Amino acid sequence: MTYKIYTASLLKEGLVAYLSLRDGEAVWTTDFTNATSTEQVAEETLKLEADRGEQNNIIVGPYTVDVTSEDGRLVPLENRERIRAGGPTIKLPISGKTKQHTQAAA
Amino acid sequence: MYQYSQADHQLLLERVTQFRDQVERRLKGDLSEEEFKNQRLRNGLYLQLHAYMLRVAVPYGLLSSEQMRTLAHIARRYDRGYGHFSTRQNIQYNWPKLEEVPEILDALAAVEMHAIQTSGNCIRNTTSDPLAGVARDEIADPRPYCELIRQWSTFHPEFNFLPRKFKIAVSGAIHDRAAVAVHDIGLRLVKNDAGELGLEVYVGGGLGRTPMIGKLVRDFLPVHDMLTYMEAILRVYNQLGRRDNLYKARIKILVHETGEEKFRELVEAEWENIKASKLRLRDEDIDAIRAHFKDPEYEDLADFDETFDQHLLTDTDFAKWVDNNLELHKKSGYRVVYLSLKSPDQPPGDVTADQMDSIADLADRYSLGQIRSTHRQNLVLSDVKLTDLYELWQELKNLGLATPNYNHLTDIIACPGMDYCSLATARSLPIAQALTDRFENYDYVNDLGDISLNISGCINACGHHHVANIGILGVNKKGIEVYQLTLGGSAREDAAIGKIIGPAFTADEIVGAVGTVLDVYLQNREDEEEDFLTTYRRIGQAPFKEQLYG
Ligand code: HEM
Ligand code: SF4
Repeated sequence: MTYKIYTASLLKEGLVAYLSLRDGEAVWTTDFTNATSTEQVAEETLKLEADRGEQNNIIVGPYTVDVTSEDGRLVPLENRERIRAGGPTIKLPISGKTKQHTQAAA
Repeated sequence: MYQYSQADHQLLLERVTQFRDQVERRLKGDLSEEEFKNQRLRNGLYLQLHAYMLRVAVPYGLLSSEQMRTLAHIARRYDRGYGHFSTRQNIQYNWPKLEEVPEILDALAAVEMHAIQTSGNCIRNTTSDPLAGVARDEIADPRPYCELIRQWSTFHPEFNFLPRKFKIAVSGAIHDRAAVAVHDIGLRLVKNDAGELGLEVYVGGGLGRTPMIGKLVRDFLPVHDMLTYMEAILRVYNQLGRRDNLYKARIKILVHETGEEKFRELVEAEWENIKASKLRLRDEDIDAIRAHFKDPEYEDLADFDETFDQHLLTDTDFAKWVDNNLELHKKSGYRVVYLSLKSPDQPPGDVTADQMDSIADLADRYSLGQIRSTHRQNLVLSDVKLTDLYELWQELKNLGLATPNYNHLTDIIACPGMDYCSLATARSLPIAQALTDRFENYDYVNDLGDISLNISGCINACGHHHVANIGILGVNKKGIEVYQLTLGGSAREDAAIGKIIGPAFTADEIVGAVGTVLDVYLQNREDEEEDFLTTYRRIGQAPFKEQLYG
């Protein structure tokens, strides 16, 4: 089965974000595994919250991503979205000193 | 180096203040994304696959050590500890936060840097020869002309909304190290029979989906007429360039559709109106700018050093590096040193903040405090004494910046591809890494000699694959990343667009396919002196095709 989730970029940070509904409240999370899919919630509900997120200047450019369930976990169907969810797929040139900063920022 | 005037400083500060205000209004919601996008693209700020991306201009690839330290500081404080040098000599940060960008621009302005002219449909940052001012094959130093172009083009009111972006490169040497032929305008300084300095003017080069080599529109333009003539070209483009179709908006399409002869007539007609205007350069205008690029105080040195020779004999790793990563300098006793940003440890063109700081220190200690960035995504220390080379090499080796591969197979140009870029159709960096791992053997790579291998992650061709001896283009075929191979391109004075050799290869196959191409070259070259491109041009595509698909 394929489902849909909503993704966008956070306005302030620019980071990839996913729409997550928890007890009816919308949160934009950078953690893909927390995305709420149309398996759980109607697409219109997600769309409403995505539009609201954009209007409230929390996110930029929301759109839906097709996902499927693999071993109980959601996985994007397209390569591009898998990379967006997981980050660059190459060795990053991060030196000791700067790693801390990255973690603090994450 | 060019020093900012008071007016330059003022302009820059005003621009930062303006942008800070725009960012605040965007964050508050007073500006929509649509409205803001135009503003941020005038300040080098993109929104990419994972985050914002800030492109900082490095005018004609020249950096002081102080500027390099600021770039390191920005990488460390506002980004994730690294930056990426691009083929247009600029640096890109992959993770800045919107709310912090004004602070970054402040830090840049403090060292006379900015992100203007690095995006949008304007005249982009002018690029040049990284060996400007020190090359032995130089006819004249291109930097004063780049600077004149910078001053003329920055904020030029008439050219603020061109049909599309506009890229200019200037070279002053016999050998083209600035890819002049694939720019919207490419200028080459030349001398006529009377010994006067002038310019060859090429128009309409470019890559992307319709790659073209620039057409020679004028074979000798006196340098005094440089700006009036460029203004005429841009006016013709601004009036007639297509605004209805994004893919046909570059000047290369206009030149192609109008025809070379007719285009030249249009430019010359426009030029007649303005050639005597006050934009015409006088000797004193040129001299005033040239004064900023005077030779530093070089010492009188012998072009020979016994200790250096001794090290060459006893340290083979040093000898390999000397063989490949040095260039002769116009001054006796000095050498130009290439710092390879192509190591097995990091993606092509990437540099960490710590490396940047160390490079700045090395530039101060060994190379008169200056660094240059190159079109092939490397860095250069331009004024190193022969007697300092061994020490410098040891330092560079420790920093991972001494891979002896300049202009060799693993000196790969690669765009960020789908690991960072939202326009990508495939990844390019993992392919670059796989090739670097596969062709690690120095003797093999060295035996292949001078060769270029470039990779782009989509048809926009930021990785210059069209003009590589071996070009790789990543495309998406039914959801799978596949890689098209082109052969025979060149970005130098014999510029050529490579030809696609046949059906694309999967990510697993492409490294092997490159190996096959190299085998065919090695089997067919006349002798070790014959480089890849010469062999390819002599034997054509057929033998390569046969081995790859036969
Ligand atoms: C990651 C963000 C980037 C975006 C969105 C981007 C976008 C584009 C686009 C749309 C084109 C085609 C322009 C045309 O044909 O009209 C292009 C060309 C080009 N880009 Fe990029 N690019 C990016 C990164 C880079 C990088 C990292 C480099 C240097 C390594 C680069 C250098 C170039 C060059 C040299 C060209 C081809 C020359 C030409 O304009 O014809 N770009 N880029
Ligand atoms: S060539 Fe394509 S994938 Fe590579 S940086 Fe340019 S736009 Fe992005």
